[in-house]
Amino acid sequence: MEKMGFGNVTSTSKTMKIIDTEKQIYVLIVEDDLLIQKIHKAMMTKFGTEVQLAANGKEAVELFLSGAYFDLILTDLEMPIMDGIEATKQLRSMGVTSMIVGVTSRNQDSEIQAFMNAGLNACYVKPLNAEKVTVVLNELKNI
Amino acid sequence: MDVGQLQRQFIDYTASLFREGFLDDQFTQLRKLQDENNPDFVFEVVSLFFDDSEKLVNNMAKALEQPIVEFEQVDAHVHQFKGSSSSIGAHRVKNVCAAFRGFCEQQNSDGLEQQIIAAGGSIPMVE
Repeated sequence: MEKMGFGNVTSTSKTMKIIDTEKQIYVLIVEDDLLIQKIHKAMMTKFGTEVQLAANGKEAVELFLSGAYFDLILTDLEMPIMDGIEATKQLRSMGVTSMIVGVTSRNQDSEIQAFMNAGLNACYVKPLNAEKVTVVLNELKNI
Repeated sequence: MDVGQLQRQFIDYTASLFREGFLDDQFTQLRKLQDENNPDFVFEVVSLFFDDSEKLVNNMAKALEQPIVEFEQVDAHVHQFKGSSSSIGAHRVKNVCAAFRGFCEQQNSDGLEQQIIAAGGSIPMVE
């Protein structure tokens, strides 16, 4: 399964577009792999968002507990200390209503469904690319 | 050899990497992320990928040389390698990783060793 989420990724969304929004979008990237962190951060920054990084689910939860706010959370599934499923569950139980999108290497339907059931708005299989980011940010803009 | 020739060679070489399936569109997207605010982005991510790859392939090889091979451990390394290779656009590496995982599921050591060598790694000899 390629993804579960907002709709079809189309060829018209291949080019990187800066989403025209009046409001600055704040994004939290939750990812333990430094290479993926770097790529995802550069991609989201290119789309005009303000990006912060967390190396695992626990760091993400602690950021929210300390009062931080993010419009969008992009989270990996497998991370040390606290994985994406547990982090998503905790964030939702804390009352976090921000958009949470899973980005995972896992592609089995059952694995993605389990991740979705934790409280995601959508889930995509890696790699994150311009098309997927465009769909996510457009969905965020429409909320 | 002048700069123009070198530039043309570089362009031709890069094109061949796409043509032969070493690289895919994901790499093109990464190149678009390089700009004046991030002038060394491609070099940095490719360097990170090569460092990670070396560690992962060596870890896989060592795991395969254990008296009792823990295929789940090998699979974990392959899974990570597949994630990073697909994120950087290393198309052939990603496909090799997919094949790897099949062998891990079958617990096929010989198949895995062949894939490691095909990917540029080596199997440490146990004396």
